[in-house]
This record gives sequence, C-alpha cells and structure tokens, in this order.
Amino acid sequence: MAILEIILLVFLIFSAVMAVRFDEELISIIFLSIFSLILTALYLLHKAADVALAEAVIGAGLNTAIFMSAISQIRHGDSD
Amino acid sequence: MNKLMKKTLISAVLIAVTFALYQNFTLMPEYRGLNEGISDYIITYGLNDTGSLNLITAVLYDYRAFDSLGESTVIFGAVSGIVLILSRKMLPVSSKGLSFIVKRTLGIITPFIALFGFYVISHGHLSPGGGFQGGVILAAISIIFSIVYGSAFDYRRYSPQTKTVLETVGALIFLGIGLAGIVMEGAFLSNLGFLTAEKGTLISAGSIPYINIGVGFKVGAGLAIIFYSMIQKTFEEDF
Repeated sequence: MAILEIILLVFLIFSAVMAVRFDEELISIIFLSIFSLILTALYLLHKAADVALAEAVIGAGLNTAIFMSAISQIRHGDSD
Repeated sequence: MNKLMKKTLISAVLIAVTFALYQNFTLMPEYRGLNEGISDYIITYGLNDTGSLNLITAVLYDYRAFDSLGESTVIFGAVSGIVLILSRKMLPVSSKGLSFIVKRTLGIITPFIALFGFYVISHGHLSPGGGFQGGVILAAISIIFSIVYGSAFDYRRYSPQTKTVLETVGALIFLGIGLAGIVMEGAFLSNLGFLTAEKGTLISAGSIPYINIGVGFKVGAGLAIIFYSMIQKTFEEDF
C-alpha cells in the first residue's frame, strides 16, 4: 500500500509540473486531467469515496470539457 | 504627498485587518484532539439523528444544510453571470459530429450513463455520492451529446429554456423542504420527522433524499447551461 502511494505521489507532482511547464495549452489540459485522475486514486486509497467521486467527475470530466471549449474559442479568435 | 497619504492609508487598513483577524482567531476554541468535539459526536450519533448511512451526506444535507444552500446560491450566481456575459441569442457552434460508429455506440451507452447519474443521486444517503456528483454526471451527458452528435442536436432536444426551468425546480424543491422544516419541526431545513423509515432502505433518512434530488437537478442543469453558453458562436458570418 505504501509503495503504491509513493508512486502515485511522484506521478502527481510530475503531472502538476508538466501542466505548468508546457507552452501548448492542449497538452497542459491533458496533464491537468491526468493530475485529477491520480488524485482520485489517492483519495480512494485514503478511503474518501465521496471526494474521489466528486474529483473524478468534476476534475477529470467537466473541467477538461470546459477548458477545451475555452481553448477552441481562443484559437478561433487568433486565426481571424 | 498624495502618494504618501495613500501608502499610510493602505498600511493603516492592513494593520487594522491584521488586528481584527488576530482578535477573531483568539476567540476560537482550543484544539482538543480527535476524540472530543463535534466529529466524535457526529460519528457516534449521526445515524440515530438523521437515519442516513452515509455520514458525509448527513453532514452536508442535515447538520450543515444551510451551507449547502449557500453553495447552491453560489452556483446560481455563477450561472447567471456567465449567461449574462456570454449569451448572444444565436445557435451554438454547429458541427457534424463524429463518425456513424461513435454515434450508434453512444446511443446505446447513454441510458446507462443517465441511470448511473440517477443512482448516485437517489442513493446519496446510502452509498458514496450525492446530489452534487450525480448532477455533474447528468450534465456530462449533455456535454457528450454536443461533442459526438454536433452541438445543435442537444440544443434542439433540450433547449436552454428547459434547462432553466429544471434548475429553478431544483432550487424550489430545496427551499420548499427548508420552509416545510419551519412549519413542521420549528427550524429552517430541519429534518422532517414523518418521512423517516427503517434505516438502510431507499426511502428513509427524512428529507435528505429529496434535498439530494433538488440539488442534483439544480447542479446538472446549471453546469449544462454554463457549457452551452461557453460554446456559443461569437461571429455571425460563421453560421
């Protein structure tokens, strides 16, 4: 259990740093989604099922869709 | 001179705020460990007080139901602001959507996603989940429709007016149960005693399932409205 938690924490920090460091917005959004997914697994490991469900639905699902639509609007403005 | 006065004013305000915060924090009770205090009370008596097996839902919609009402108000304010700024009275971006295979597959899967959303809402007092999470799952169906079938499909099926009506109905359910608490139990959002049944059954736990249903409708419709306001077309010539 402890080893799995350490691995998940390392990947959590890795995905957070990657989401900040990339210039391309699309890759940043995908890394943010991965961040939420790893956070969901960590919540489940600590037996917080309610928070895990909320994080999976909002962080990995809804946020990604809304960010994608925002990004597409910005690109549309640039191309004009 | 003016600059100096501004700086003095800012530092005076900062010092006053710091003093007020310090005074505020000295009023807080001391930390007495996990074995005493409110958490221990909820773990021990929560099931008897509310009849809800899921103690998190018991805290959210019974002990701290007024906070949940505030959260719903925040979401309502966000939806109102976004619609006010972004709505343009035009059809959303019209795209043809994905391929035939994806469309057919989604047509088969969608009822099960909706069933899972309704399950999470209605079993909020028995298993992990609740109105908020289930509502977001229902909003996700609307988003998937707009991605796979093209965004005009969902707009035609469930227009923003329908979603606004759904959101209002959810908020009215929440407030109506709160007012019924005043009439029957003597306190706002108090748990309605005559609705309690055997613990662990689907229709039990007083008014918690009904508040869950109201919050689920409200959150789902509100988030779908936010998404649809954001993907609307900006330029008229792109129709």
